[in-house]
Amino acid sequence: MFRNKTFNRRKLLIVFTVVMLILAFLAGRLVYLMVVCSEYYGEKAEDLHERERDIKAARGKIIDATGTVLATNRTVCTISVIHSQIKEPEEIIRVLAKELEMDEEAVRKRVEKVSSIERVKSNVDKEVGDRIRNYGLSGVKVDEDYKRYYPYGTLASRVLGFTGGDNQGIIGLEVIYEDYLKGTNGKILTLTDARGVEIENAGERRQEPVDGNNLHISLDYNIQMYCEQAAKKVMEAKSADGVSVLVMRPGNGEILAMVNVPEFDLNDPFTLIDAGEASQGPEAQEEEGTEAIDIFQEPEDVEEAGTEAAQMPEATETIAMAGQTEGAEEEGEPENAKTAEEKKQDLLNQMWRNPCINDTYEPGSVFKTITTAASFEEGVVSLNDHFFCPGYKMVEDRRIHCHKRTGHGSEDFTQGIMNSCNPVFIELGLRLGVDNMYKYFEQFGLLSRTGIDLPGEAATIMHKKENVGPVELATISFGQSFQVTPIQLATTVSSLINGGNRVTPHFGVSVKDSQGELVETLQYEVKEGIVSPETSQTLRSVLEKVVAEGSGKRAYIEGFSIGGKTATSQTLPRSANKYISSFLGFAPANDPQVLALLIINNPQGIYYGGTIAAPVVKEIFSNILPYLGIEKQAAPEQEGEGQEGNPAQE
Amino acid sequence: MGRERGTGKRQKNIRYFDYTLLLIVFFLICFGLVMLYSTSSYNGQVRFKDGAFYLKKQLQADILGIAVLAVVSRIDYRIWKNFWLLAYIGGIGLCTLVLFIGEESNGAKRWLDLGFTSFQPSEAAKLAVIIFLATIISKMPKQMGKFTSLAKIILIILPMVGVVAVENLSTAIIILGVAISMLFVASPKYAQFFVAGGTVILFGSVFIMMASYRVERLLIWRNPEKYEKGYQTLQGLYAIGSGGLFGKGLGGSMQKLGFVPEAQNDMIFSIICEELGLFGAVSVILLFVIIIWRFMVIASNAQDLYGALLVTGVLAHISIQVILNIAVVTNTIPNTGISLPFISYGGTSVLFLLAEIGLVLSVSRGIRFGQE
Repeated sequence: MFRNKTFNRRKLLIVFTVVMLILAFLAGRLVYLMVVCSEYYGEKAEDLHERERDIKAARGKIIDATGTVLATNRTVCTISVIHSQIKEPEEIIRVLAKELEMDEEAVRKRVEKVSSIERVKSNVDKEVGDRIRNYGLSGVKVDEDYKRYYPYGTLASRVLGFTGGDNQGIIGLEVIYEDYLKGTNGKILTLTDARGVEIENAGERRQEPVDGNNLHISLDYNIQMYCEQAAKKVMEAKSADGVSVLVMRPGNGEILAMVNVPEFDLNDPFTLIDAGEASQGPEAQEEEGTEAIDIFQEPEDVEEAGTEAAQMPEATETIAMAGQTEGAEEEGEPENAKTAEEKKQDLLNQMWRNPCINDTYEPGSVFKTITTAASFEEGVVSLNDHFFCPGYKMVEDRRIHCHKRTGHGSEDFTQGIMNSCNPVFIELGLRLGVDNMYKYFEQFGLLSRTGIDLPGEAATIMHKKENVGPVELATISFGQSFQVTPIQLATTVSSLINGGNRVTPHFGVSVKDSQGELVETLQYEVKEGIVSPETSQTLRSVLEKVVAEGSGKRAYIEGFSIGGKTATSQTLPRSANKYISSFLGFAPANDPQVLALLIINNPQGIYYGGTIAAPVVKEIFSNILPYLGIEKQAAPEQEGEGQEGNPAQE
Repeated sequence: MGRERGTGKRQKNIRYFDYTLLLIVFFLICFGLVMLYSTSSYNGQVRFKDGAFYLKKQLQADILGIAVLAVVSRIDYRIWKNFWLLAYIGGIGLCTLVLFIGEESNGAKRWLDLGFTSFQPSEAAKLAVIIFLATIISKMPKQMGKFTSLAKIILIILPMVGVVAVENLSTAIIILGVAISMLFVASPKYAQFFVAGGTVILFGSVFIMMASYRVERLLIWRNPEKYEKGYQTLQGLYAIGSGGLFGKGLGGSMQKLGFVPEAQNDMIFSIICEELGLFGAVSVILLFVIIIWRFMVIASNAQDLYGALLVTGVLAHISIQVILNIAVVTNTIPNTGISLPFISYGGTSVLFLLAEIGLVLSVSRGIRFGQE
């Protein structure tokens, strides 16, 4: 038996010491990791454990001037699958495909994807979500969520706009006021294990959502509704492609109604408007038309624009070009080169356009109001100036016809505008000259955008100043050979008749939080003095005459003083013989409280603005003037009776 | 220090029994069970619908192990001298057998299926090497100074190391480490061990070069955040780091919820760090320090060289495993699977460890106080 030697013990001590040194080093390493690196690793670990779940903030409502809610929210569900918790994948695929009306393959892809959580479908109706929840499938998650809801469906569809899958605005006011409406999403921070399963009782941290602010707009539900009905009626009666109505307050630019029929359904914005609606027109005309014919088909003199087609000068090249390019965009593209999907998207984009804002047209005779304002402001004409209309006017070597081929004969300026006599305005345009004409366009704000609070406003398409010769100047003078948007025209006329203050047309009035506390009163630019008050006054009075005794007499309402101007313009290409009939009216004439612009696009049969557009505005005014609290004037009532005979005398 | 006087004064010699060691080992076993339950209940719940699944299995192994400890500590350790050849052949045999009929788990064949339970032969191999080497060396202590005898012994050991290394490199390293430690203590010389150390490093490098996945491990070790396979290491570091000074409290670990894979096995120390903090972790290390210190005391005072070498082997075994485990968990060395003695989940491991403790206690019993 061998004894344990001293060297054995010494070596044992060496082994022990080495072990202790290594352990001490490792303890040091632990100190480093757990003290120095603690924060770094701790944070990383927390990132790993925490799952963030959004709590959606309710989007703000859009509320009209009467307090009616035009856009609000509805509870919908989002269906997701949690891969690690799925037990019966086939059953889940079957149920989800059935309930969500989805392709089984598409559902399978989501269900079988290895991820912590996979969204199958959002914006599912609450009833469907509840049904799916009741199946009690493990691994299927049903989250409630908000979806935009428009109680009145089609009402002011292109104005309000709609929202997309993430509740973000896509068109209309929903886009422009996105930041006010959207609110701030809240968060729930929960701890989960490696499979993504939430740990119960782990104490979640919550960050409450802040609901979006409510937008109060100047649009008036009742006026909008009434205008829409009137527009629909005339669209059907005249088998028109579309009718737009714009009602605004000339004094401050607030828009009370903006109708573009046919409207689309905001709760289902991805479905095209049934094309049948337009084609139903002719039939409808036969039924409903009887009444309309009574109103519209009264014998009357041919009032304007009859020959505009014939005398369209080459000067319109720019416009024609512009028109053609636009046309090319719409029709010229090889349709077979596009997939059905793209084609549908194009049609949807077309449907979502707001013709009052996004499209331009030749304003025609309504534009004579602007020529008039410029001429009075420059002093090149007075009310008593005498003109003679032989039925045409020679400009350089061109003969530009009046709509009344036989001529209006001798007339003063007031009669000229009442007759909407083209030679009179050609004369005014030539008196002004190109420089002055453009100076006033600039001054009136006609050449820039109005700045309305809707997206995609189109710019005015006007000749380049250096390309404008006498012929072009002549056609501009009576509103042809260039294009403006309806909102531009309405805003410019509003500014001219309100005493000369260029207003910014708008819907947004104020923003209030969900408790009703005022957050912001929206401010808009006003440019004062674009015309003198005297010119404004003159303009109002001659336009009142137009309605009282002239071409706009079908808009006359007993007891109200109404100013206005009719227009009929032919669209490009001229050979298609398509027309746009319009009427712009305002009341009361001496102190305008409300201005309406009605545009009928491609009416069939009689297309004169004074015949078909003016009566609609009359109908609208006779309802909304009392509604707006504009009283019948007692004194002019008798005057009106006296005037009744006038049309017959003409 | 655990010294006990014989009952009455019937015996002149004071019998020695190292109660300190026994107490600390029991404490570690109990502590290990608590930590194991805390760590494994999630995995048990997920896989077997039983949070106590791993606890129950470990408890069975612990009870069996303590019974073995009780028996072994009462048997005179010198009896094992007769089993050296059996230990050697049995060790190699079992480790070879496992290569052919072993159960595969996580891509490695390391378990023998015994029907009612499974058995890991490489754990037995460690004990076998200790018994075998202690016997051989104690038979020829005079020759231990010679380099040739050292080389011979290493050569005899290599087959066993090789067989184990095929499936389980880390256990092979432990076996080699244990052998070298025992030879070092037995030999009066130093220089040779530098040569031996060099050989081991060479051996290790050849092994690393042989398999590219080991090179990859080195890269992962340097930069665990950049490699997908650094996931386990990184998760361990997250656990350790988020522990801080005092930890999240017992049961408070988040990382054990599936983030650290197989948290109850080799990575259990990281969860101890997370739940008990730096103080808890250092306390665990201190417990091991005390155990190792007791081993040294017992080895130094052993009745004979054989007993001293047995204890030295156990000391080397436990020290190497503790060091390597903590080093891996703290990413001080590249990742390799080594369990933490008495705490990590593993029945075979704890069974043989307790048998080894029994052996050490048996040696301590042989110490006659006052003889020195």
